[in-house]
Amino acid sequence: MVYNVFTFLVGGKAGEGVKKAGSVAAHVFSSMGRHVFQMDDYMSLIRGGHNFSVVSSDTVPVTSQYSKAHVSVNFDKKSYEKHSNDLINNGLMIYNSDDIEQVQGIGIPFSSEAKKYPLKNLMFGVGAVAVLSAAIGFDKKRMNQIIRDEYPRGIEDNIAYADTIYDMIYPTCYNKFSLIKGDIKRPIASGNEAISFGAIAGGLDIYYAYPMTPASSILHFLASYAEDFNLAVVHPESEIAVINMALGSAFAGAKSMVGTSGGGFALMAEGISLAGITETPILIVLSMRPGPATGVATYTEQGDLGFALSVGHGEFLRIVASPGTIEEAFYLTSEMLDLVWKFQTPGILLTEKHLSESSMTVDLDIQKAKWAQPKTHDGGNYFRYLDTDDGISPLLFPPNKEVIKYNSCEHDELGITTEEPEIIEKMHNKRKKKVDALINHLKILNTVNIYGSGKPIIFTYGSTTMSVLEALKYGKINATVIQPIYLNPLPVWILSEYKEERSIVVEMSSMGQFSHLLQEKVGINFYSEFRKYDGRPFDPIELSNKLMEVI
Amino acid sequence: MESLKTNASITWCPGCGNFAILTAVRKAILQLEEKGLKRENICISAGIGCHAKIFDYLNLSGLYSLHGRDIATVQGMKLANPDLKVITFSGDGNALGEGLAHTMFAAKRNQDMTLILHNNGVYALTTGQFTPLSERGWKGPSTPEGSIEKPFKALSLMIQAGATFVARTFAGELNHLTEILVQAIEHKGFSFVEVLQPAVPYHAWKEYRDKIEFLDKEPETFEEALITSNEKHTHTLGIFYKAQKPLFHKELYGEHNPVMKRMNREERLKTMMELLKSM
Repeated sequence: MVYNVFTFLVGGKAGEGVKKAGSVAAHVFSSMGRHVFQMDDYMSLIRGGHNFSVVSSDTVPVTSQYSKAHVSVNFDKKSYEKHSNDLINNGLMIYNSDDIEQVQGIGIPFSSEAKKYPLKNLMFGVGAVAVLSAAIGFDKKRMNQIIRDEYPRGIEDNIAYADTIYDMIYPTCYNKFSLIKGDIKRPIASGNEAISFGAIAGGLDIYYAYPMTPASSILHFLASYAEDFNLAVVHPESEIAVINMALGSAFAGAKSMVGTSGGGFALMAEGISLAGITETPILIVLSMRPGPATGVATYTEQGDLGFALSVGHGEFLRIVASPGTIEEAFYLTSEMLDLVWKFQTPGILLTEKHLSESSMTVDLDIQKAKWAQPKTHDGGNYFRYLDTDDGISPLLFPPNKEVIKYNSCEHDELGITTEEPEIIEKMHNKRKKKVDALINHLKILNTVNIYGSGKPIIFTYGSTTMSVLEALKYGKINATVIQPIYLNPLPVWILSEYKEERSIVVEMSSMGQFSHLLQEKVGINFYSEFRKYDGRPFDPIELSNKLMEVI
Repeated sequence: MESLKTNASITWCPGCGNFAILTAVRKAILQLEEKGLKRENICISAGIGCHAKIFDYLNLSGLYSLHGRDIATVQGMKLANPDLKVITFSGDGNALGEGLAHTMFAAKRNQDMTLILHNNGVYALTTGQFTPLSERGWKGPSTPEGSIEKPFKALSLMIQAGATFVARTFAGELNHLTEILVQAIEHKGFSFVEVLQPAVPYHAWKEYRDKIEFLDKEPETFEEALITSNEKHTHTLGIFYKAQKPLFHKELYGEHNPVMKRMNREERLKTMMELLKSM
C-alpha cells in the first residue's frame, strides 16, 4: 500500500535516545524529498519517565504531528501502554519483549540485545531506526549509512545491533509501508533554530538568556554558533540581569535579544518598562508553556498573551507579534528586530513550546530577512529625546563627543530628569506618537495571514495556526483561516473587514484570551470557540472532527 | 571642570556628602584625561536613590537605570563595546539590597567596570529606613524599635566574590577620594569603591570624622585582604585589595568587539546557507 501522510512514533525513558531517534527518522524522510513535522513530548526530568517523539511526513507540506502512527516503537512497558491506541488500523506496533509480556504487536528484545554492547540502553534509538528502515523497505546498506552519519559513537556496535533488529522485523514487515518520494531535500529546522537564524539575519550582535524551557535551545544554538557569526552570547545570573544587560548593550549600539518563558518574562517586566521610557530597542522572545508559575515546564500553551500585551508598568508601546509557522518565525524575528530599532521600544516575539521545540522541513529564502536599520543622528547638537513629528528621536552611539543620555526617570529632550508638568506631558505625547507611526508602517507590511477562502472563518494565531491548517487539510474542509501575525498593534484595519462573518476561534488557553482580544478590539463575536489547555498541541484528526461538527 | 557639568539644578541637601563625590569624580576624570583617557569613551549609569542624581549633574553619556540594575546596565555596555570605560554609581541599598546579585556576579566575573558605592547607611530619599550597611539597631520608619540585622561587610564580601580592586574612602577626604577614584577607574577588572558619605538629615559629619582612620599598610595577598577587610570594616580608609585577573569580556570573546567588528549581512547569510544545507 502506498501512503501519503506517514507517522512514526518512538517512545521510552529519558536517556534512551528517543528524541534523537525521532530526529533521525525526520532526516530519513527529508532525504527522500518529503516534508516532515516532528514533535517531541518530554517530561521535566533527566533520566527515566516517559518521552516520545512523533514524526509525520508527507509529499506535501505537513504542519502538525499526527497522533495515530503507522510505525510505533516502544522501548518500555510504559510507552507501550501509553501508545497502544495511537496506531492506525494495520499499523506496526513494536514493543520491548524484555519489559512486557506478549501483547498486540511484534516484540523485540531491545534490552537483552543491547546488553551485549557497552552502550547498553543508549542504543535503543538505533534499534528504532532499524525498525523504521525495514518497515519502509530500506536495504541494510542504506540503513548502515544513516547510522554511520547520525551515531558517531560506537559505530560498529550500533551497526551490529541494528542488523540484529532489522533481521527480526524483516520476515513479516519488510517494506510494509512503501513511501512515495518527494520533490527535493529540504533542511529541517526547529522553531528556536528559525528564531535564532532570523535574529542573526536581522543583525543580532548579542544574545542574553537565563536557561528556561522552552526557550533554552535558542541560547544553546546561538552559543554553539557564536564564533561562526561573531556573536556574543551570555548567560548571566538571572532574567533581571539578562534584560538590563541587554538594554545596556543596546544603548552602546548592539542589536540585542533575550529569550525566556513566562516566569523569566515576569522577572523582566521592570526592565521592559525601562526600555519603554528610555526608548531602548530590545527584542524579547517569549516562548510560552503552561502556567501559572512553574506550571508544566516542558509542554505548550498560549496563556501569556494578555501578559505579553500589557507587560511592564506605565504606558508605552509594546510591539507583540507571533509567528504561525517555523518559516514565519525566521522572517518575523528579523522583522521584529528591525521594528524595535526603528521605533526604539520593546518588542515581544510571542511563541509557544509547540513552535519553539517542534521541527519541520523549511523552504527559506534567507535573502528576504530584514536587516535592522534605525534612524540615526546626522550631526549637530545631539538631543537623545528630540521631539519629532513621528516621535522617533535619531539614535547616536558612544563613543561620541556629543553626550548621549538615556533616562529611566521622566526627562527632557537632553535626557535630564524632570518633574515639570509640561515636559512630562510632552514626553508622553512624543512616545505616544510612535504608536501611530508604527501603525502606518505596519500597514505596508504583511500583518495578517489569510489562508483559504471558504466559510466559516476560523481565527487563530501562533503555532495553533499550524494545527488548524493541518486539520483543514486532513478533513478537506473549505474554510478561511485568519491569523493575525501582529497582536499589538492589532491590525484592526484588516480584521474589521471580517467582523460580521460567522466565525470560530481556536486557541490554547482556558480563559480565551485571544478570543477576548478580538471581541474587544475588533468586535468579533464567535459562534463557536475551541480551547485546549492540557499542555498538548491539537491533533489534526481530532480537531478536524470537532470543526466538522460545528461547520 | 565646567564642561563636566550640566544645567540640571542640584537637589541634594545642603552639606550632603554627595557634593564631595561629584567634585572628586570631575577631578578624577580630568586627571584621567591628562593620562590619555578619552572622555567620550566614558559611559556611566546609576541606580535609584540620592546617589543617582549624580547622573544628571555629570555631562557624560550613559543610562540612568533602575534601582539596583545599573550594575547590570554597565556590564551590558561593556560587553557591547569593550572600548568603553564604564562606571556606575550606586547607593548601599541599591548595590547591596535590590542589586546584590548583580554586584556579586559582576565581581565574580571580574567584569571590567567601576562601582562607586555611595555609602550613607540609610535609604535617605525614602525617608530613612535601614540599609544593608546600616549598623544594627538603626531606628527608621520601617524599624521603629531598631533594625535587627547586622550589616554586610561590603569590602570582604566583594573580595570573596572576586573583585580585583577594593577600596574604602570618605567624602570628607577629597584628595584621598579623588586619588582612589583615579586608580579604580584605571584598574582593569572589577573595581569597587566604598565612599563613606553622610546624609546630613541622618548622620552628622562629626560621627564620621571621629572614627576615620587610614590603613597602615595595604594588604599584599588575598588572605591578608580578607582578614583586614573583615576586621576593619567600618571607617578604615585605603586600598584593601588589588590584583590582576583575566577580564570577563576577553575570556568571552577575545579581541572581538560586537559593535565595532560586526559581521556584515552578506557574510552572515552565506554562513547560514552553508549551515542550512547540513540541517
